[in-house]
Amino acid sequence: MKKIINNPNEVVSDMLRGMAKANPKIRYLGEGVEVIARAEKTPGKVGLITGGGSGHEPSFGGYVGKGMLDAAVAGNVFSSPSPDRIIEGVKAADGGAGVLMVIMNYSGDIMNFQMAREMVEFDGIKTDIAVVKDDVAVEDSTWTTGRRGIAGTLFVHKVAGAAAEMGRSLPEVKAAAEKTIANVRTMGMAMTPCILPAVGKPGFTLGEDECEIGMGIHGEPGINREKMSSAKELAAKLLQKIFDDCDYAGSEVAVMVNGLGGTPLMEQYILYDEVENILREKGIRIYKAFVGNYMTSLEMAGVSVTLLKLDDELKAYLDYPSEAPAFRV
Amino acid sequence: MGFLLTSGDYVAYLERTARRIAENGDYISGLDAATGDGDHWANMNLGFENLVAVGDELRAMPIDAAFRKIGMLMMSKIGGSSGILYGGGYMAASKACAGKAALDAAGLCDALEAMVKDMMNRGQAEPGMKTMIDALYPAVQRFRQGLRDGEDERAMLTAVKRAALDGAEATRDMAAVKGRASYQTNRGVGHLDPGAVTKSWQIEGLCDLLIEKTGE
Repeated sequence: MKKIINNPNEVVSDMLRGMAKANPKIRYLGEGVEVIARAEKTPGKVGLITGGGSGHEPSFGGYVGKGMLDAAVAGNVFSSPSPDRIIEGVKAADGGAGVLMVIMNYSGDIMNFQMAREMVEFDGIKTDIAVVKDDVAVEDSTWTTGRRGIAGTLFVHKVAGAAAEMGRSLPEVKAAAEKTIANVRTMGMAMTPCILPAVGKPGFTLGEDECEIGMGIHGEPGINREKMSSAKELAAKLLQKIFDDCDYAGSEVAVMVNGLGGTPLMEQYILYDEVENILREKGIRIYKAFVGNYMTSLEMAGVSVTLLKLDDELKAYLDYPSEAPAFRV
Repeated sequence: MGFLLTSGDYVAYLERTARRIAENGDYISGLDAATGDGDHWANMNLGFENLVAVGDELRAMPIDAAFRKIGMLMMSKIGGSSGILYGGGYMAASKACAGKAALDAAGLCDALEAMVKDMMNRGQAEPGMKTMIDALYPAVQRFRQGLRDGEDERAMLTAVKRAALDGAEATRDMAAVKGRASYQTNRGVGHLDPGAVTKSWQIEGLCDLLIEKTGE
């Protein structure tokens, strides 16, 4: 393992400290707390927080800022943050109008955030929760953990963040988040594994000419391991899986091509070119496009494609200014 | 006269288990790599390192307070699913033995039963779902049965240990319903669940320590 770190057990603190130093409008609440919060609180505004395992940078600290999140709670690499950390995040975000938690659908995150909710009730802070499950590689089911949350979460942060900034109430902010969740779908693929700093070696291997369609952002298995194909073929495969799940025909969308950390922007733009071709041929209009490393998996090579179906309300939230370091509008 | 498990004994057990976990990083990470995302060993290792670090403090506490402290530490230091399940489980165990300085066999069985109930409830998990419950649940069942039958303690502890180890082994043929292994096409069939394995080592370590004690 070759990584620019000091101590594998301190990567989260060291990273968040650096992130806050580089961005004066956010602050790091300290070791053991592992929360990034806005430098200035807005009283009377609904607070918006998120959280999850680390290793997905700039998710989520990079999305803290005016117009987006109030606080982001970091767990250890790929592990949910504990309730004590989440409580600190809620307190940092609470401006007196309640706090919405936007989290991704993983059992650890759900259990830890639910417990934190029960605990902050004693402090008189009203909370609600919205769970993102945009990964079409996984079948949704009430019996199992169900569909994972991945890069589409960013759109939920953007929309809910704008709604909160515009002064909407907690139920209204939650409704905006839920509307986004209902209209967002993501499909990804990976070409190389990633290495957890505390483990020191890859958790799986992929052949030199292989890729895995539908792999999760923690290296969880996907739906198909196959020979690498061209950007054109990959774009078609990823989008087809999304279309099989949700009908985007005739709609207007926001598109995100997200790099998983080890894939150059050159390849991401090449993929976007092909994605745009397919959407245009299908008569799906692109309102806004995002290409870059938004939700990564350490150094994993791979991409995901996200589509969000838009209406006038969601467009207005998407266009609202954001000062978050990693998502400026 | 049966055994009496003190906080000092419990710390001794934690220390042994911490060593075993630390020494088996490649093995556990290998199991996890087959079905999960590879963080289980690192998280458990970190959790047990943190528990051992406060060993002196734990030793000085009555067992109910020690369980509570262990629960809070595991919840905050491990994070993830394991952190909250172990954390919640130990806190439930602490409540089940409130006011006790040390535990006899019946007291320990009550504590472990409260732990497994809390974990099942919080994780919405039942036996057979390829989780650590598959190691803990049969062990607690066997423990309860042994107490009911008035079994000899050494024989009972040996059987409890066996139930946990067999339970972990049985996860090999199970399909995952919860957690990341559930995303796999074959849902992890053919692979041991790493969480069940580390849980079975804990039961084994505790039983072995108590068997040594009863032999004194």
